[in-house]
Amino acid sequence: MATQIIMDLNGDTRHNFDAKDVKALLEAERRFKALTDAGFTAATRTASGESVVTRTFDPTVEETLFFPRLVGG
Amino acid sequence: MFVTLLCDANGQLRRPVAACLDLARGFREWYLRPSTREQRGLKLLREWLSQEQLAQYDAHKYFEVVGCHSGKRYRIHHGNGANVIELDDAALPRTGWCFVPNDHLVAGDVMLAQKIALETDERGALAAANNFTPR
Repeated sequence: MATQIIMDLNGDTRHNFDAKDVKALLEAERRFKALTDAGFTAATRTASGESVVTRTFDPTVEETLFFPRLVGG
Repeated sequence: MFVTLLCDANGQLRRPVAACLDLARGFREWYLRPSTREQRGLKLLREWLSQEQLAQYDAHKYFEVVGCHSGKRYRIHHGNGANVIELDDAALPRTGWCFVPNDHLVAGDVMLAQKIALETDERGALAAANNFTPR
């Protein structure tokens, strides 16, 4: 089961999906595109735990984290 | 006579005053407890920190990251604004950087976004940031 984690006002919202389910995969890809188009950064982790920013949807990734655009505070 | 009455009154008052203090203490603990969303943000942060960063955070309420472009060290303190401090070679505060996600997020989420930004796009993060002189 793969997960997309979106940071939001509730802390985060998680969308779990089965990467073998074509319909769920399309929905996950649509969500990825909608979020990144809206300025969210998508990040994943390597096996060693290193964070990596990704710009394209990868159906093999287990966990993707989205956080909103960063601005000066 | 007067002293006896005073002692009696004192004895009778002690119990309700202690009960009030207990209530006040309980209210304070309830009021200051992390909210569910704050707890969720901290849980997510802890999942994404390296072991070293997690140990630092548990011990000091901050953790350090290395900028991906410059190799500089940054200390991210617990908080959701003006909480990123660039360190010099002697690990002393050099410059404060303020950059946050443009939605109102809990501290755990803010710190995690700052960590990932510095580790993957340091220049982009600092370009968006305002700087300040750390105390």
